[in-house]
Amino acid sequence: MKYIKQVLGGDLRQYTMVVALGLLILIFNVISDGRMLTSSNFQNLLSGNAYVLVLALGMLMVIVIGQIDLSVGSVAGFAGMVMALVAKNYNVPWWVAVLIALAIGILAGAWHGFFLSQLGIPGFITTLGGMMIFRGGVIWISRSISVPAPEELKWFGAGYLPEWGPSFTGMNNSTLVLGLIGIVCFAVGQIRKYNRSKNSPVGVTPLWAVVTRIALMTVLIGYFTYLFGSGRVGTSFPVPGLILLLLTIIYHIITQRTKFGRHVYAVGGNKAAAALSGVNVKRTYFLTMMNMSFLAAVAGILFVGRSTAAGPADGTSWEMDAIASVFIGGAAVSGGVGTILATIVGGMVMAVLNNGLMLMGVGADKTQVIKGFVLLAAVAFDVYNKKTGKASIIGRLFGGNEAKKTTK
Amino acid sequence: MKKRTLLSMAMVATMALATFTGCGGSREGAATTDTAAETTEEAETTEAPAEESFPGFEDGATIGVSLPWLGTQNWKEAEEMFTAQLEEAGYKPIVQAADQKVTQQQQQIESMIENGAKVIVVGPVDGSQLGAVLEQAKEAGVYVIGYDRLLENTSGVDGVVQFGSVKTGELQAQALLQGLEEKKGEAPYNIELFGGGPADPNAPNFFTGAMSVLQPKIDDGTLVVVSGQTDFTQCATVDWDNAKAQSRMDSLLAGNYSDKEIDGVLSPNDGIARAIITSCENAGQEIPVVSGLDAENESVEWVWSGRQYSTVAKPTNDLVAKTIEIIDSLKAGNGMPATDVEVDNGVKNVRIYELPPVVVTKDNAKEVFANDPSRLELLK
Repeated sequence: MKYIKQVLGGDLRQYTMVVALGLLILIFNVISDGRMLTSSNFQNLLSGNAYVLVLALGMLMVIVIGQIDLSVGSVAGFAGMVMALVAKNYNVPWWVAVLIALAIGILAGAWHGFFLSQLGIPGFITTLGGMMIFRGGVIWISRSISVPAPEELKWFGAGYLPEWGPSFTGMNNSTLVLGLIGIVCFAVGQIRKYNRSKNSPVGVTPLWAVVTRIALMTVLIGYFTYLFGSGRVGTSFPVPGLILLLLTIIYHIITQRTKFGRHVYAVGGNKAAAALSGVNVKRTYFLTMMNMSFLAAVAGILFVGRSTAAGPADGTSWEMDAIASVFIGGAAVSGGVGTILATIVGGMVMAVLNNGLMLMGVGADKTQVIKGFVLLAAVAFDVYNKKTGKASIIGRLFGGNEAKKTTK
Repeated sequence: MKKRTLLSMAMVATMALATFTGCGGSREGAATTDTAAETTEEAETTEAPAEESFPGFEDGATIGVSLPWLGTQNWKEAEEMFTAQLEEAGYKPIVQAADQKVTQQQQQIESMIENGAKVIVVGPVDGSQLGAVLEQAKEAGVYVIGYDRLLENTSGVDGVVQFGSVKTGELQAQALLQGLEEKKGEAPYNIELFGGGPADPNAPNFFTGAMSVLQPKIDDGTLVVVSGQTDFTQCATVDWDNAKAQSRMDSLLAGNYSDKEIDGVLSPNDGIARAIITSCENAGQEIPVVSGLDAENESVEWVWSGRQYSTVAKPTNDLVAKTIEIIDSLKAGNGMPATDVEVDNGVKNVRIYELPPVVVTKDNAKEVFANDPSRLELLK
């Protein structure tokens, strides 16, 4: 067992949720006669859930600072609707419409951020107001009628990467290149980490463990590259998935490696202590809320692209899906705890559950019930583990911020 | 200890390999029979003009039915009838409802494609928001039939089965006029207008149909819309939500009818009709003549007892039967049956299979429901 630990780089129990996700995929694959692990299903899974996961990225940071944002669905719907209307009525190029939608997201976020940070009105109230304002706004400006979106936007919501190069690879070459980049980046990162750790007296991981780790990851990324790349000609790793992937990497770096990221965790963990140590609490609040609505606009654009039209009910109860993903990913309700990667895993658990139950032909009613139980069970499990004094399992996924604190 | 670790690692590796080779999609050119069949099919469609090639499919094929929700009686009936009648006809039905959520419906349709459905019947939550998904179905060689509502803004639709929606509106308006003459004495009559959910492409059509009958009467002074709200967007009821209709009626009555009597209300469906009647009763008004649609059980009782003047029956059974008739034709390789009506959905002209709706009042209720034992039961 010790050796496996060394390969995985820490406590095995950290990986509970990842293991649960893997098991879920395999179980559904068996029950549905192999219809789960197919190219097209995984392409759908990513295209169809990218918008929730994008929201979850922002929601994680909001929850870490100890707030909540109820307005994201309405803001997403509003930004998407403005985009569709502007493109249709004023005949502007599609990318201008996209920029306007993003600008609306940033403005909406600044609005929420202002009330939270300057006037000290709790995020729950501020964004409850925002939820009503922007939902009403969508219905108002659209007169409750769906508006077709520019054709080009479909690429963002349901598009694929281009086909090029030799066909002997047997898969989409864009996807192949993406997979290879992933493997190389992981390998280089691990080797650099290993070289650095050689000079430090503590925590040296043996070379063989590093090599095995790289080999396992290569198999995993290789498999998914094959899965996404080998579908029908013209399909690949989906564009919304790529956008999600890029945003995940960016936000992982922001939260784990930058000063702003450390401030977010500091403010969420103990606001007073953070303020005394020189963290600008107001600024952190403001930027986090602004970022959330910006991501809501991104989610709205992805969704409109996939739906080919913006509708008056777009975004209804999306905030709830995003919040559920964050909590299944092990974030603490009291703030200060949670990581981007664990949130993505949490969101994928919900997505796979939804998708698998649908493949089995389970109705929306029962799916909802099951998802409710899973949310409750995941959070209860986490809380129970904290109470009994064991290390938080899910919260420390991938050696998150909390893990760093405890090792200090 | 070390041995065990090695063993478990080997196991992980083999498992990974097994999944690697076992599953995953097969791309063009792979030597499986499945893809071979698919490529020939693709070749056929590219050679012949797409419109004319209609490959049939085998007995026991999977048929997907995606309904918007089960919150009103007609959709619940549709769910039960599709399940029973498709099974009876020898198909393997997957009938799912999307709980009024567009995303849920998109994912359901995708999972139906995954499940190898040959035909997907779609009663859309929002007829214009399924574009990309339906095109995906078409690329996978699946026939898409719209059910009860038009599928707009997409090339991925082969035909739509519905009751003539403009016709439905005309019938509602005629029933309203007839009721006013019967019950409310001499003209002029004070009326108000209600429309359905704007996301449902049928709703404006109902309203247009009704206004084609009512507008001339408004112009010659027979009918007076006291509130002056005659535009569809003013009269629409978001999501067909009865509660929203009731609160709109409450404020119309409070604002315009403190010294007047309301004689009639155009209502786009039964749920809204009952909300309107309840609102009038609460306001102390005499019950106006109200139209309806769907012949829901409760409204059939209300029509029978005289509280609601009329409803329009769109027998779900007919709609389901017509849909299955088309599926049978597709199965035999005969393609979509011919039809006279085509409608531009924004991208292409879509074949429409229109069925005639039936007005129900107290006078003809027994005849209309002669073949419907459960509703006949209500007429006592």
